[in-house]
Amino acid sequence: MAQPTPDPLAQLTEIRAIMERSSRFISLSGLAGVGAGLVALAGAGFGHWYLNRLYPYAGYLGLLESSAAERRAVLPFLLLLAAGIVVVALLVATFFTVRRARRNGQPLWSALGRRLAVSLAIPLVSGGLFCIALYLDGAVALVVPGMLLFYGLALLNASKYTLDEIRWLGLTVIGLGLVAMLIPGLGLLFFALGFGLGHIGYGLLMYNRYER
Amino acid sequence: MKHLIHTLNKAFDNRVRLGVMAVLMANEVVSFTELKEALDLTDGNLASHVAALEKAGYVSVSKQFVGKKPNTTYSASKEGKTAFQEHLATLEKLLRG
Repeated sequence: MAQPTPDPLAQLTEIRAIMERSSRFISLSGLAGVGAGLVALAGAGFGHWYLNRLYPYAGYLGLLESSAAERRAVLPFLLLLAAGIVVVALLVATFFTVRRARRNGQPLWSALGRRLAVSLAIPLVSGGLFCIALYLDGAVALVVPGMLLFYGLALLNASKYTLDEIRWLGLTVIGLGLVAMLIPGLGLLFFALGFGLGHIGYGLLMYNRYER
Repeated sequence: MKHLIHTLNKAFDNRVRLGVMAVLMANEVVSFTELKEALDLTDGNLASHVAALEKAGYVSVSKQFVGKKPNTTYSASKEGKTAFQEHLATLEKLLRG
């Protein structure tokens, strides 16, 4: 077992690899981001179409000025749409991440994967509930900025367990959320920018960097 | 050169022990299962090496129960962290020659 002449370079490289592998979930695939982004874009498009039918000419702006009763009537549609986007995006993202983990022979549901999921889920679930409260309370214009801010903070929180790009995606989404807060009429556009193009952009970046 | 090699810590001669310390340096508290997953080892193999590190005072062990299941967690002791960092520094010196 003893190594009389240790190879210092090999030892250092191995130590580095073990530290990296044991503290970061690196199977996250860039294609997962691209897929989730496309789903979000489709969802934003569908939401746009639906609101334009509901409020001709006004669309999203119509929702901003709706009465409490109207908001409650539209809530099931919005919740279903949001849940649909989340479920489909998660399925797509999981598919690509499982594929990448298998190819690299890495465990997927490791302690690290669990830690990543929990650190994402806590800010996301509390943020989601807060946004529903904002909506019902009439602060409709703050819903999309709130979603972006909480999602960005969730990513920032989870980024210590995964690839560094996730931290940058988180900061980008937080920035977009803050700008969206200042421009209340463009919520859907910022939704598409943050959840759609943000994911696609960083997904392509990660794919180019690690998977080609 | 020869002199430096002899200053390398004997406790880290072994790949498994080196691996255990590397995981404990990167993560504050790690369970037995997590260690096993990270290093891809069998129970027996890992247990004997962790015991050796514990004996050297480099690893502290804490045993709790989660419900009825025993849950053993490990972390690097202060001495362990210092020793590991010294080991890394020596390796780097060896590399520079």
